[in-house]
Amino acid sequence: MERSFSEEIKLLSAGKGEVFRGEGILAITKGLLQSGVSYVGGYQGAPVSHLLDVLVSAKSYMEELGVHVEACSNEASAAAMLGASQVYPMRGAVTWKSIVGTNVASDALSHLASGGVKGGALIIIGEDYGEGSSIIQERSLAVALKSSMWLVDPRPNLTSMVDMVEHGFALSEASNTPVMMQLRIRACHVQGEFVARDNVKPKIGGIHKLAEPAAFSYDRLAHPPSTFVHEHAKVSDRRPAAQDYIRKHKLNEVFKGTRNAPLGLILQGGLYNTVMRQLCELGLADDYGNSALDLLVLNVTNPLVGDEIEDFCRGKDAVLVIEEGTPEFLEQQILKIVTRAKLKIEVCGKDFLPEAGEYNGQVVAKGVAAFLGAHKKKGLALAGAGRHVKKVEEALAIGAKALGGPVLPRPPGFCTGCPERPVFGAIKLAERDLGKVHVSSDIGCHSFATFAPFSLGNSIMGYGMSLASMAAVAPTQQRRSIAVMGDGGFWHNGLQSGVMSNLFNKGDGVLVIMQNGYTSATGQQDHMSSAHFAPVVGDKLDADIETTLKAVGVKWLRTVRTYSVEKMVHTLKQALTTAEKGLKVIIADGECMLVRQRGIKAERARLLKEGSRAEQEKFGVDDEVCVNDHPCVRLSGCPSLTTKPNPDPLRSEPVAHVNQDCVACGLCGEMAHAAVLCPSFYRAKRIYNPGKLETMVHRLRQTVISSLSKVAA
Amino acid sequence: MSAVTRLLIAALGGEGGGVLSGWVVAAAQAQGHAVQATSVPGVAQRTGATTYYVEIGKRDKKGAAPVFALMPVEGGVDVVVASELLEAARMVERGFVTPDRTFLLASTHRVLTVPEKSARGDGTANADTMMRSLEKCSKERFLFDMAETRQQVGTIVNSVMLGAMAGLELLPISKENYLEAMQGTAGSAANLRGFEAGFAIATGEREAPQAGDPKRAPRPMAADPLAARVAGMPEGARDVVRIGVGRLIDYQDVDYARLYLDRLQPFMESGPLLRELARHLAVRMSYEDIIRVAQLKVRPERFSRIRSEIGIDGTEPFEVVDFFKPGIPELADLLPPALGRRLLAWAARAPEKRGYNIGMKVKTTSISGFLRVWLLARMRFWRRRTLRFAEEQAQIEGWLKLVERAQARDPALAREVADLARIVKGYGDTHRRAVTTYRDLVERVVDPALSGDGTGKGVARRLKEEISQVLATH
Ligand code: SF4
Repeated sequence: MERSFSEEIKLLSAGKGEVFRGEGILAITKGLLQSGVSYVGGYQGAPVSHLLDVLVSAKSYMEELGVHVEACSNEASAAAMLGASQVYPMRGAVTWKSIVGTNVASDALSHLASGGVKGGALIIIGEDYGEGSSIIQERSLAVALKSSMWLVDPRPNLTSMVDMVEHGFALSEASNTPVMMQLRIRACHVQGEFVARDNVKPKIGGIHKLAEPAAFSYDRLAHPPSTFVHEHAKVSDRRPAAQDYIRKHKLNEVFKGTRNAPLGLILQGGLYNTVMRQLCELGLADDYGNSALDLLVLNVTNPLVGDEIEDFCRGKDAVLVIEEGTPEFLEQQILKIVTRAKLKIEVCGKDFLPEAGEYNGQVVAKGVAAFLGAHKKKGLALAGAGRHVKKVEEALAIGAKALGGPVLPRPPGFCTGCPERPVFGAIKLAERDLGKVHVSSDIGCHSFATFAPFSLGNSIMGYGMSLASMAAVAPTQQRRSIAVMGDGGFWHNGLQSGVMSNLFNKGDGVLVIMQNGYTSATGQQDHMSSAHFAPVVGDKLDADIETTLKAVGVKWLRTVRTYSVEKMVHTLKQALTTAEKGLKVIIADGECMLVRQRGIKAERARLLKEGSRAEQEKFGVDDEVCVNDHPCVRLSGCPSLTTKPNPDPLRSEPVAHVNQDCVACGLCGEMAHAAVLCPSFYRAKRIYNPGKLETMVHRLRQTVISSLSKVAA
Repeated sequence: MSAVTRLLIAALGGEGGGVLSGWVVAAAQAQGHAVQATSVPGVAQRTGATTYYVEIGKRDKKGAAPVFALMPVEGGVDVVVASELLEAARMVERGFVTPDRTFLLASTHRVLTVPEKSARGDGTANADTMMRSLEKCSKERFLFDMAETRQQVGTIVNSVMLGAMAGLELLPISKENYLEAMQGTAGSAANLRGFEAGFAIATGEREAPQAGDPKRAPRPMAADPLAARVAGMPEGARDVVRIGVGRLIDYQDVDYARLYLDRLQPFMESGPLLRELARHLAVRMSYEDIIRVAQLKVRPERFSRIRSEIGIDGTEPFEVVDFFKPGIPELADLLPPALGRRLLAWAARAPEKRGYNIGMKVKTTSISGFLRVWLLARMRFWRRRTLRFAEEQAQIEGWLKLVERAQARDPALAREVADLARIVKGYGDTHRRAVTTYRDLVERVVDPALSGDGTGKGVARRLKEEISQVLATH
């Protein structure tokens, strides 16, 4: 069952003067088309998944424009794709989640940045940093700095973001350098509006194909001795060219303060709205962006333009650099600039603001207030500032006091009926008999197993990395170890980094591959073996994990339906204890429940609409049979399997309860059997529009049963 | 007054919080406001806690929108809408609900977190504390059970939230514009029902769902031969004893219920202890063996409960499949003591046999399936001769003795010893482990206290702590 993006696709075709209303990342996508890109690629991941999802499903419109769209198999292949712009004067954009995606891409990125580009090359990175982030907290600026790529960090409103897409391409072309554009999570998901321009068909693309390949040019190759030339060109030609462009087109913005105070703020573009709001709260700005202080907003954070900084700082006593993340690259560079210019100014930054963590409103308010407090004499009324900071602190204190203790966390978890949940229940059961084993986790939905009630997983080392990260663990353990990997991770990286390395080194250990058919954690994108579950849809490949593993030489290979808990436990125990040496792979097979339910619900709705027979199942717990011990919950954690107050007047503890959201995946029944839990569970089936015969049989049964019941009473 | 109204929506992944914030944005736009919404869905969309933040602003004279913030700030939120009680409390904890500013619209129902529901006993967080914090920290509030409301009208919770927001006039947006915004979203008929229900509750035209008493009335007794004796029980315990008697007549027979009353006899003067003991004793004496389970599974009330759970009336066909997995211990339970013990001893010698279980899926709505379970339920007459019966009675007697001895020393300790009954629960392996834990606690804590000559005070507290620890384990 495919998701539909028809609304989004309509938005993308908006023409000149129309008002585009929608999400930030979609606005960026529109910006790409307005810039005449020839190709777009990338690898999915929050918060930028939407960009690719929409473009991939807008296939026919993309063909019409002559834009090539590629759902790359990982970020490295996406980065390498930009090689097209290195050789040909065409614009291209790729996207991924950063910092992780940038890390995966960095080999290709270095080569790309060394040779430089002819056509504009834009990398849209979802800076997954701060609240809501699902990854390690690092900044992408470091990568831009070390490879001499430019980094755009636009003010987070749709107009600025889209404008910066178009400037990003031009900047890239003007300086022969790939440009990264970083968008924080909330900027990607911001709902706003901008006035659209027409989409532009690329000069080179699916419609206008090149007759001849590029002429051979060794200079462009990221290969010695060219690389030595590139290293110099980066600083002597490309950077000055970029700085010229930035200066000329005023990509960085200066907002003059209303009060002529000799103080100023220098901030990353992405932080502009947070800072403005806090200035307003502190009594130093109005709601519409008119600030008492001078502001220099860096929409481009690499390279900095020295004379812009100098100009801004000249005549001021102090500036505060508001720069999120560590280390303080911008602050250091600014210090260098003002020192070289011999300006008498105090450059502040991380001395007033925290070194690490997201710069949210509270943090910014405190930092700015402290900075102003330390430079009081400059004649700005600060009473309001003090009040605001105090109010923020009080708000937290009041809540904490009223609650008397921390509120229970509610981390994300497996969906109702998820096919991966049973596997972790099975691992728990196998461990009950064999003892605890080292479990090497991976990135994907299955990493939710690190939360209660499973709390399984000794390490997480990256996407597709679980097996590789076990290489030195397995040989040192008396019991065999388990690596868990998703099929998404398998195709992304796990096959090479994990499986091949293990086979090549004649490693041991157990690899469990969650075959749910999609890269589910990022929003159910298709991958190489998605056809496994939906063979009829579209033009999917029919690559198959089992065949692939056999081809590379895996000998011990079992495929087990995830919901067959007993069989899974048995297979796990076998894999963990067999005398056979070498890698043992269990493919845990079960389609992503979100995708499956979309199909099932639509089908049921269709049947009901036409008055045909349809079924709906759910599990239940007999609350009189349940003895409120809850081992079922400890082996499942399904959102639908919960507890409710005990209806028995003689008992006080809550009984297990299956709520209405149950999709009858079957786990509850399987687990009751596999773990020999209790006889409380039942499966009930409702039958809509039953046939005549069916109704008759049912009546007959009911008559017999009710007369028997009378005997029992 | 600020030119910007700030709205924070707290919800769980899958509740349609994103759609809700989309509706607000569209409605605000239709109203001519400048508006911006953001969120951090990430993987939190998978059942975790998540928030959506919306700002609505007046344009200035030149038509420019205010500079909107992308995240809420502590103490600076005008309206908080939460789809669940704990999530509302989380907003309080994070400082987004404050007495000088915030209107809080929240649902009072609970969606339990995993640690809350996986505890062996009652792990649920204290709802009263949370309710009090909402009242204390909000300027104004409107709290009702949105889950029940949405269930009543058959929709998802977000439309109920929107309706209530409209009814309470929390934002400068007209009802028409809200309704307009909802048009064209999938499932619009159901959404509309939810909206109208939320709206009507907020404006007082419809009653908010009231929490019913979770306790079920006991099964009516056909005859009540022990009524006179029950009437003679102290008032404080009488209602519980009556239920207990009914339970045990149903479970076994009148004699068995009489035994129950006899067992309570020594505690007639024990005040509040009697009530607790009567409760625990009835539960212990009606322990769940296969016969009891079968009896409960074939009851007509059970089937009608299931019918209403899946939303059908008495005539529509339906199917129920029950999951049983009796093994050697369950079989031994049913045999006469000597035979049962021999079987267990045999199984113990060969550990692999301990895993012998017969997994059965019985369709209890079919005649043959029903008959099988029904026949088992008819084995009540045999119960008194089984190994399990002998064991349970011995354990019960032992426990009552302990309570009695404790009572003689220290009533506080007696209450805790009575409470030990709570940890003896579970089926199969869990039950066997529970019995071991019970024995261990008796040996470690109770026995020494009863044989020593110190008072029980400190011991009572210690026992209480140990019991709650056992019940808190996940
Ligand atoms: S059967 Fe159990 S695990 Fe499966 S969806 Fe229903 S409650 Fe959840």
